[in-house]
Amino acid sequence: MDPFEHHNAATVAGAIELLTGNATGAQAARPISGGTDLLTTMKAGLRAPVRLVNLKTVRGLDSIVDYAGTLRLGALVTLDTLEHNGLVAERYRALADAAGLAASPQLRNMGTLGGNLAQESRCAYYRNADFPCWLKGGTVCYAREGDNAHHAVFTDDSPCVTVHPSDPATALLALDATLTIQGAAGERRVPIGDFFTLPRADHRQLTILGPADLITGIELPPLPAARSASRYLKAMDRATWSFALAGVAVALTWTAPGSGLIESVRIALGGVAPVPRRAAAAEDYLVGKQLNAATAAEAGRLAVQGAASLAHNAYKVRLLAGLVARALAATVPT
Amino acid sequence: MVRVVRTKVEIEGRTHEEVVVVEGEEPAAWAAGELHHVGQATVRVDGVERVTGSARYTSDMQLPGMLYAAVARCPHPHARLRSLDTRAAEALPGVRAILTHENAPPIPWHGKASRVFDTELRHEGDEIAAVAADDPETAERAARLIRAEYEVLPYVIDAEVAMRPDAVQVHPDGNVLKDEDGNEGETYTRGDVAKGFGAADVVFEGRFSTAAQMHNALETHGSVVAWDGPTLTIYDSTQAIFNVRNRLAQSLGLPLTDVRVIKNYVGGAFGAKLGAYKQTLIAALLARSTGRPIHLMLDRRAENLVAGHRAPSIQHIKVGARKDGTLTALEMRIICPIGAFGMWAPSVGGPAKEMYTIPNMHIQTFGVRVHTGSHSAFRAPGYVEGAVALEGALDEIAAQLGLDPLAIRLKNYAAKDPGSDQAFTAKHLDECYRRGAERFGWAGLRKDLTAARKASGAGSAGTALLRGIGMASQNWGGGGGPTAQALCRINSDGSVDVQCGSQDLGTGTRTVLAQIAADALHLGMDRVRVLLGDTDKPYAPLSGGSMTVASVGPAVRMAADEARKQLLEIASAFMDTAPDRLEIRDGRIVRQGQADRSMSIADVLKEIGDYQIIGKGFRGPNPPEIIRTWGAQFAEVTVDPVTGHVQVVRMTGVYDTGRVINPLTYTSQIHGGIVQGMGLAVTEGRTLDPTSGKSLNANLEEYKLPTIADLPQIDVTWIGEPDFQANHLGAKGIGEPPIIPTPAAIANAVADALGVRVFDLPITPERVLTALAGGMA
Amino acid sequence: MAEEIQLRVNGQAHNVTLPATRTLLDALRGDLGLTGTKKVCDQGQCGACTVLRDGMAVYSCLTLAIECGDSEITTIEGLAAPDGTLHPIQQAFLDCDGLQCGFCTPGQVLAAKALLDRRPQPTAADITRGMAGNLCRCGAYPGIIRAVEQAAQRGAGTSPAHSQAGASGGG
Repeated sequence: MDPFEHHNAATVAGAIELLTGNATGAQAARPISGGTDLLTTMKAGLRAPVRLVNLKTVRGLDSIVDYAGTLRLGALVTLDTLEHNGLVAERYRALADAAGLAASPQLRNMGTLGGNLAQESRCAYYRNADFPCWLKGGTVCYAREGDNAHHAVFTDDSPCVTVHPSDPATALLALDATLTIQGAAGERRVPIGDFFTLPRADHRQLTILGPADLITGIELPPLPAARSASRYLKAMDRATWSFALAGVAVALTWTAPGSGLIESVRIALGGVAPVPRRAAAAEDYLVGKQLNAATAAEAGRLAVQGAASLAHNAYKVRLLAGLVARALAATVPT
Repeated sequence: MVRVVRTKVEIEGRTHEEVVVVEGEEPAAWAAGELHHVGQATVRVDGVERVTGSARYTSDMQLPGMLYAAVARCPHPHARLRSLDTRAAEALPGVRAILTHENAPPIPWHGKASRVFDTELRHEGDEIAAVAADDPETAERAARLIRAEYEVLPYVIDAEVAMRPDAVQVHPDGNVLKDEDGNEGETYTRGDVAKGFGAADVVFEGRFSTAAQMHNALETHGSVVAWDGPTLTIYDSTQAIFNVRNRLAQSLGLPLTDVRVIKNYVGGAFGAKLGAYKQTLIAALLARSTGRPIHLMLDRRAENLVAGHRAPSIQHIKVGARKDGTLTALEMRIICPIGAFGMWAPSVGGPAKEMYTIPNMHIQTFGVRVHTGSHSAFRAPGYVEGAVALEGALDEIAAQLGLDPLAIRLKNYAAKDPGSDQAFTAKHLDECYRRGAERFGWAGLRKDLTAARKASGAGSAGTALLRGIGMASQNWGGGGGPTAQALCRINSDGSVDVQCGSQDLGTGTRTVLAQIAADALHLGMDRVRVLLGDTDKPYAPLSGGSMTVASVGPAVRMAADEARKQLLEIASAFMDTAPDRLEIRDGRIVRQGQADRSMSIADVLKEIGDYQIIGKGFRGPNPPEIIRTWGAQFAEVTVDPVTGHVQVVRMTGVYDTGRVINPLTYTSQIHGGIVQGMGLAVTEGRTLDPTSGKSLNANLEEYKLPTIADLPQIDVTWIGEPDFQANHLGAKGIGEPPIIPTPAAIANAVADALGVRVFDLPITPERVLTALAGGMA
Repeated sequence: MAEEIQLRVNGQAHNVTLPATRTLLDALRGDLGLTGTKKVCDQGQCGACTVLRDGMAVYSCLTLAIECGDSEITTIEGLAAPDGTLHPIQQAFLDCDGLQCGFCTPGQVLAAKALLDRRPQPTAADITRGMAGNLCRCGAYPGIIRAVEQAAQRGAGTSPAHSQAGASGGG
């Protein structure tokens, strides 16, 4: 790692000030919380920030508070806390499961929700400083012609075919979360679907975060407890501690407790596109339907509509369809 | 008086003749009645050091004034170094020395094919410069600041492409290794293959492949070195201290007396640490130029690029059989990319040659040089890969004939070596099959699974887990042989040290040798300390080839036996009794039949003052018969048809490797072999970028080692019948045998579960789902 | 940029001046000479560098040393008693042969400590999940599982590290 200044921030405003207006690009100052992603990028020579701003010294960013049914998660809540917090597990099981399926116990102890959402691509080409890939400011997406077995099956004309690695992000998208972001211009509330953004030539990153922006909180809207459910399922290439080949989160509401008839549903897909994405056609199809093996399978089929696989990842389309159906089936009240 | 004899020794699937110097008589076969420690489950004598963190591995060595080194490496698979600019690195405070091809002596490396810093760089990670600095961060940063300009050259990483006449040449003498007659590849023939296939009722033909498996020992390769005047001390993470000493002495033009290699603990090796690597020489050169000790450990990325791997294999196999299952012919064409400087091809044909009575056979093996780091031995190199194709083909033949896979193996059981018709010293594989099948519940499960599949209608359309079982056999050497020497010294206080330049890799060597020495001395283990891992000790071979127990064990027993005899001879002078009427019991020297006539060992030693009793032992020649280890494994898997995930649920392994010295560490070896074999079968494989030739998973994130959650239930047992024809301990090695059948058994179980075979390993979700979709896996 | 901080490791305070770039792993090994904690991947991909930070298992290779001034760190050297009596978890790893080369063992032992502190009577699934962040290349996993089970049976979950005895950081 190249040398850097290290500052312990006392307040969010102080942190933003420390992050504002120094170097740009790979040298830009970075906030550090768990450090589990940032330090790996620095060790790999991808990032060489001139300054790190420690957020762990800011008080109050790791709270979980229930405001009249809306759950407010501080950005510094760790994945381990998310997995084990009673309120999260009871009301937003998809998120607890996603947190518990992410990484390893130690990384879940260290990694925070905010950092997890802001983490960078795990694409092997992106992570290797020897490949000046498009996402890093180069001209070529090496994965397109290279080894893309783990890459996107929905690219939506993105020049980059990476997949977003976060498990919680997929769950939060299904759970309709809203992020609070603070920056030099003050505070914004951003629906999670708008927080992630397909990389563009003039914006080569996977989120809307500016250099001095901080995620400070994540809000989960209330769900009718007796007639809602959510699940997150993840496919990996070993039993644990692997990024998702595909992750599926579903959150749905039934017309009445035990009816099995779907009133509303959100399905989010992870590990299959540069950003987590909704399966809109499948959602539309399911509304008003009885959830059973047949409708779940059809939803799975619809969820992969429009998928365009690369040379080595056609298998992911089949996998994703099956996983969507399985995640839906898992919500059926027993 | 010494005598000289010739004998055959097998290492890593290759047999060679060795001259043995013999002095004195080896002890006779060791009867079970003489043993108190051998055969008992014994916790490791160095276990406390390992669980408390006090064990000092090479990377833990910290010497006064020590500098840390880092290496700058070529990022291309093939390039010519145009220029180097080290100014920015030199300017960094704390940088003490930089070595490049411009200022380092041009010491040859990889035979004469390269040198310590070459300007033609033939694989990603090839060394271009090295830095020594005050701390590791500075060294690493300085290495990154070295600017190199390259002429990027055409490369070849695909072995089949590299075999073409118009391929890019890795070296001027061609990409394909040649045999003694100058022909490309190695050819093995017996019988008449055309005739054999003519006699076959059924034929199976298929193309199997296995991936490059990276050792990824948790301690990377590396050395800590220090000069003291003309003498060089090397702490090395190695499994072969004497090989390292020979190589460094030769490279630096030093007599052997001036190079000492020490290895107390090594954090895993698995075959990748059988000789000196370039970084040890670089460390020695940096230490010489700075006058300071140097700490040079590879980082994880370099470990994956330059420190060896199991060569990938492509295996075209064709097998013919009669209706009753009798195998009539086998043909294999084996292609292994061995990296830029590979010097041998793995014995992928080994299982096919020896496992079954196949009368007609033709095997061609091509070791092909390509622009990657070189391969190295990796736990039963070749045999693991070869078993996948052989055992897979056998299952396919069995399926065609409607036979039980176990039945076809028994039908073609080879009681003698099928190639030479020579006898084996011992073979109880049939008993391994029988016990394994029984413990696993093979026959019942086969019946149940067949019935369940009939009932549900064959189909991969469902989403329920698919269950399957498979099995495979194993043959391997493991008989060891000379040369191995040991000393056993009884100190004046009655403590004993056994000295031997062997290595404990975590296999339990220290513990097993302590058990052997204690029993030979008729003493408790608490008296005995085993000193290994130092070239100042008598010679022992590399710790590999499953040969340590069978090579070093007999030498240690003999040394301890000699020491005990001397002690009794000395005692006889004070006890007024012939030495052959004395014995050691409970720490006392006792006159046989007269327990009251005894003397404590301490009192005997007091009589002789500071005299140290020193017993010498050696490993004698091997018998003319063929020494082999045998085993069978049975696997049960589930496959998730939605995610493509293969979970190995259960493994049963039964082994015949002669006498088991320590059931505790023996079992651990089998567990380890199965876990590593499972990695090769389902998760592990290097991926190279098809467009640039660079490695994409030179790390532990994308290279998937098995985790604790991937672990199946493992049931282990053994025959345990001593093989006294092999050596007087009756023991053979267990290091490599347990990994050999694992991938084959798992692949067969997956084929059973899916109803379609995945021919390419690892059997990833991608390959499972592709196979289920009816495509080429 | 170097900073002077106090690192509290195994109940002992060390005043050290460290560059901001130094990881806790490198500080423990290089600056404090506590080489029981191993460097394997240096990228948070293997678990060998696991230590306890305020009782929580973390990877010291992804922890900046200068951020640890307010923490109590426990390394493998802090588990056994000064007279050499092993912590029950260490004893269980020894008895069950939950190790081979031993290079991952310090990390495994500390991961087991964190697991048993949280779940003194873990289920099989708890063990698999709790130990999932520590790779063992030798494949000693069956012995590791038995060791955690044995340690739990012997009440290791209520046994503080020697260095934590009397301190509040154990739980």
